[in-house]
Amino acid sequence: MTATAEITSVTAESFVEAPTAAAQTWDAFRRNPLGLIPLAILALLGVIAVFAPLIASYPGGYGADVLQAPSGQHWFGTDNLGRDILSEVVWGTRVSMLVAVCSSALAIALGVLLGVLGAYFRRIDNVIGTVVDLCLSLPVLPLTILVAALAGPSLQTIILIIAFFSWPEVARVVRSQALAVVNLPYVDAARVIGGRHTWILRKHVLPAVAPVIVVSIVLTASRAVLSEAGLAFLGLGDPNSWSWGRILYEAQQSGAMSSAWWTTLFPSLAILLLVVSATLIAIAYNDARNPKSRQR
Amino acid sequence: MPPFAAFLLKRLGRALLTMWFAITVTFLLLRLLPGDPAVAVASTNMDASMRHELLKQYGLTQPLFTQYVKYLGQLLHGNLGQSFTQSQPVTDVLMSRLPWTLLLTGSALILTVLVGVPLGVIAATHAGRTVDRLVQTSGVIGQSLFVPSVGIFLLFVLGLQLKLLPIGGAYDENAYGLGWYASVLQHLVLPCVSLVLVSLGSYVLTMRATLIESLGEEYCLLAMSKGLSDRRVIWKHALRNALLPTTTLLGLQLGFMVGGAVLTETIFAYPGVGRAIYEAVTQLDYPVLQGAFVLLAGTVVVVNMITDLAYGLLDARVRTA
Repeated sequence: MTATAEITSVTAESFVEAPTAAAQTWDAFRRNPLGLIPLAILALLGVIAVFAPLIASYPGGYGADVLQAPSGQHWFGTDNLGRDILSEVVWGTRVSMLVAVCSSALAIALGVLLGVLGAYFRRIDNVIGTVVDLCLSLPVLPLTILVAALAGPSLQTIILIIAFFSWPEVARVVRSQALAVVNLPYVDAARVIGGRHTWILRKHVLPAVAPVIVVSIVLTASRAVLSEAGLAFLGLGDPNSWSWGRILYEAQQSGAMSSAWWTTLFPSLAILLLVVSATLIAIAYNDARNPKSRQR
Repeated sequence: MPPFAAFLLKRLGRALLTMWFAITVTFLLLRLLPGDPAVAVASTNMDASMRHELLKQYGLTQPLFTQYVKYLGQLLHGNLGQSFTQSQPVTDVLMSRLPWTLLLTGSALILTVLVGVPLGVIAATHAGRTVDRLVQTSGVIGQSLFVPSVGIFLLFVLGLQLKLLPIGGAYDENAYGLGWYASVLQHLVLPCVSLVLVSLGSYVLTMRATLIESLGEEYCLLAMSKGLSDRRVIWKHALRNALLPTTTLLGLQLGFMVGGAVLTETIFAYPGVGRAIYEAVTQLDYPVLQGAFVLLAGTVVVVNMITDLAYGLLDARVRTA
């Protein structure tokens, strides 16, 4: 008697409050400190990027205090021209985050579009698959360097170049996930009831690959930060804006890196912090999404 | 046709296709991007007829397709064009540099495997325990490292502060015979370790994941229930099958490592192709940049093909797939 009552109450409860998959994922994610803390760090970096002008003055003019070690006045020390490194790192957050957001948005848009189309329309799949394979088997950085050198250094070109060389990875991941989905019965059902291709893709295929896209966004963005820093380190960054890579580049060019550890340590830590946070978020999200690991 | 011959031909075809793709992409990029080679060769404020003469000399006045065919023909003869700044063929500029890059990336790749396999095995066999957590955490951090940051850190601490190792160049100019080889080895340590640290993380994480998967499969259970020792099951049964996906990853990583070599060679003034790229960037020497990319792409394609063929010999499933 009591057992039946319990069962009824349980079913009623789960029926009323059946949480969506997204809510369940968020619920599990929220409870994982290895997901929440990196998320907070990323948010903090975002705030720093947006409000950079309020936090530190633009590191433009030359100062008299050249190559000062970190102190109360200059928390991160000063570089060879007497500029405050904390200001450089703060303003660099802006450029690094901007490049990350913009180039990853472009790469995701292109990669998702081609990945999903390839999986859904099998006729063009061969072409897309081959192009993706070819792109992935080439050394990307030397090619990026060539293009950046030709196109001339500006923030816009750097964003476009990084996006252009990141989409194949996105397309590969999205395509393999979409391939598993398009063969499921419910997609056939959608086709049988006369759904148009665009409707099926939007309503049935895209939501199924959405989790992969979330992970891709985070990883592509963090890789974009590394690519931008790499280009800037080789002197191919935008000379008119500060980025973490440019701080390292100037420290190397001026020789400051061999005597003043603070010129390279703080921008390096900023890069590491951002990329590690992004990676941890991706891992925690994957764990939270997977019911098996959610139980733990 | 015997299956292995078919596999060989298919793999060779793919390598050629990749090379053609790389070459065509660079050709189109060079001709279509705003940084017009004509501008680089001949300044626009030059006398018009002189400029035309110079462009003609470089074959830049012909139609695009003719230029393309000519370019392909030259490449087949190993001709990568003329360096703008060094007035010698690009092939000469780069070929003297290539061995150093091969030495650097090759040793880094081998070291990654030699360190990565045991680490992956330890993590997989102790899944969930402290050692595993430690390996996983270091793996995630390792994956996120920025090559120049690692290089600068090693250079500063081991090279400048502790003065244990040389910080620049590839050999000691005053050393001869055996001493020379020793100096090469000493100069190799810092750039090589930088590359290994950066590539080790994802290798170990993949190794661990695939090994855990293999260990859960039935053939491993069978091997265990036959009473084979743990060591035998892991190294002879599970690891063999786990090596395949990690080797594929290694092939992909090779492209990444070549990119990392550009950055490490810049930091340590290592005289490889990467350093040549850095120098060409500062002087906008497009033919060298283009040649360096074609050369590095060729290296990656060839090494990938060799590892694939080796795997085809060892694993029948690869041949038939």
